[in-house]
Amino acid sequence: MALKAYWGRRIASSLLVLAVVLVLNFFLFRILPGDPVSAIIDPRFSPQAKEELAALFGLDRPMGEQFLLYVKQMLTFNFGVSFLSQRPVWDEIRSRLPNTLILLSSAMAISALLGIYLGVIAAAKRGGFIERLVLWAGAISFSFPSFFIQLVMLLLFAFAMPIFPLRGSVSIPPPPPGWPAMIDYIWHMVLPVSSLVILGFGSWALYVRNLMVKVLGEDFVFLARAKGLPQRLILWRHAFRSILPPIVTIIFLSLPGVVSGAVITETVFSLHGVGRFLLESVTGQDYPAAGAAFFLLALLTVACNLLADLAYGFVDPRIGLERKMER
Amino acid sequence: MRLLHRWSLWALALGAIIAAIGPYFFKTSPEEAVAPPFVKPVWLAKDAPPSLHLTITEEHLERRFLWEYEPPLRFSLKGAMRFEVPPEVAQIVWQTPKGTMVLYDASKKAESRIDLDARDVSFKLALGLSPFQNPMPHLFPATGEYALRLESSEPPAEISLALQVPGSRWGLLGTDQRGRDVFHLFILGIRVSLLVGLSATFIATALGLAFGLSSGYFGGIIDAVIMRAVDVLLSVPTLPIMIVLAGLWGKGLFNLILILSAFSWMSTARTVRSMTLSLREAPFVEGLRALGAPSSYILWRHLLPEALPLLLANIALGVPGAVLAEAGLSFLGLSDPRLVSWGRMLHEAHAFGAFTSGAWWLILPPGFGIAGLCLVFLDLGRHLEEILDPRLRRKAL
Repeated sequence: MALKAYWGRRIASSLLVLAVVLVLNFFLFRILPGDPVSAIIDPRFSPQAKEELAALFGLDRPMGEQFLLYVKQMLTFNFGVSFLSQRPVWDEIRSRLPNTLILLSSAMAISALLGIYLGVIAAAKRGGFIERLVLWAGAISFSFPSFFIQLVMLLLFAFAMPIFPLRGSVSIPPPPPGWPAMIDYIWHMVLPVSSLVILGFGSWALYVRNLMVKVLGEDFVFLARAKGLPQRLILWRHAFRSILPPIVTIIFLSLPGVVSGAVITETVFSLHGVGRFLLESVTGQDYPAAGAAFFLLALLTVACNLLADLAYGFVDPRIGLERKMER
Repeated sequence: MRLLHRWSLWALALGAIIAAIGPYFFKTSPEEAVAPPFVKPVWLAKDAPPSLHLTITEEHLERRFLWEYEPPLRFSLKGAMRFEVPPEVAQIVWQTPKGTMVLYDASKKAESRIDLDARDVSFKLALGLSPFQNPMPHLFPATGEYALRLESSEPPAEISLALQVPGSRWGLLGTDQRGRDVFHLFILGIRVSLLVGLSATFIATALGLAFGLSSGYFGGIIDAVIMRAVDVLLSVPTLPIMIVLAGLWGKGLFNLILILSAFSWMSTARTVRSMTLSLREAPFVEGLRALGAPSSYILWRHLLPEALPLLLANIALGVPGAVLAEAGLSFLGLSDPRLVSWGRMLHEAHAFGAFTSGAWWLILPPGFGIAGLCLVFLDLGRHLEEILDPRLRRKAL
């Protein structure tokens, strides 16, 4: 019951976020630019096409009905036609989504694992090289703008020493499909992903280190030491296990920032992704595309949040305990 | 005051002074092109030619100078001269170590206006070059003594000519893609970063204070609504919203500040709320309520002063976030293009090919400026926290 109630609450709060995003999206793009028709339908279209599209979006109907129609279209990924490319927005986004997902998930996974590992080591050996590295990396990730670090990496590894490509996610001309294409893709992703890792692992490591330092001073760790358990076991099985729940919390607190970082990273490295698509659509006043890209980025965050919440249910022993007691 | 012993306070004061008076030490406007695009800083390129300005007047009809560098990038000669009667011969002569050439022939003309530029096709043709040739190696063929003079059969009544050869090095930090002085832009950029960072954080803190106090004190439905809003805002990616808002509302500085503060009050609200929750049950508040004090009085005179010192550290720690967010939005091109800011400089460096020219002096100074500003505020904030909460002093970090 407790677990179900917990998940139910989490799902409800995700739905609330989603609803707020939908409302925000609806009103932002419909009210701000003045005439709603001009916000949704390209002014260069022929009058007949305009009328058809207006009927499709239900712009001739009252606001409440429009909103319901809008929600239905958003949830079925029917985003309309892009002003800039004159193609369905969903097609545009579908070609970009894999890049964004791969970039974010690999960067997030590598930086979290590296950060957690280094944080635990730093807490175990206070005053060592690793601890100094962690403190410095944390300071850098809190004070340097992400795009600046990325620009400098580009300058060093793509311009001064041209090891990696300066822009894009495929070589021109594209390599033959199969392994060459795969290797080419990885070669293009090395700089963006590693820049995100360099920027990300510091704050993770700092956070884990601070938690571990606190935990390592507690009585149960002292007891484990007194029992003569090996250091590695104490660190990972006893101390680290007890800080897992707050780490999962920080995972889902950091997700919005990671998605925000995608916009900047994709712009710096000129990647074919949803974040850059959002920026280009906003600056090009392509409202349907901008609205859809924003909605998808928000949806991505909400979905990841929900996953993190569900993971929390597994790592927090108290929730598991309640489940066992219930049986 | 322990704060006075902190380097960050003095660094901040220095930054504020530079932001306030620094730009007034420059004679030119920041928009003005002072040298060719992407030229190196003076201290880096000692062999690159410096700027050369020569004037020819009635008293000095000949100017000589020593040229010991590579050919420069540009060359222009502007001015006017007038004779009482049209002269038999009047030529502006350019003497190089390898021979002389006539730049302009004013023979038999009483008045002439001269406007020559090495990039003009007519000038290249007059020198006997093709329109696609670079005339500079022709004009500066070797190192040695050069001269610019007027050779005329009679002295001119009036003459004023100016030779401009912009150098291939400039100032402390070189020039950008439009030939503007990067050091000047860098000094100007402090203003926007400081202004946006401080004011956005102040507004956000005020919002957080108001929401946190009312949420903690009143509880019930107000608390539920505000805390739900905090949860939602904390779990939505803010940069995409800011991009959309900045794109739709326009790119003004004021809009930017409003947008930034609207999305950074949440953590302050949480902190203030939890503090208010514990204070609300404190005996002195209960006593006040028993005395019949209205909520507004309790909030203003008793709870707010309790929260304020806590917020001082909060403001200092919040500024880096606002500065970084401003830089990020400017970098994405969503700031006022007429305002120079460090993020804007990086945006232009990225958009206008500082990479393909290897112009690192356009990229490193604004980046380190932003980082320095953030570090100063982080240090200040952490120190303020320690002063206000002595328990933190025992910790290692």
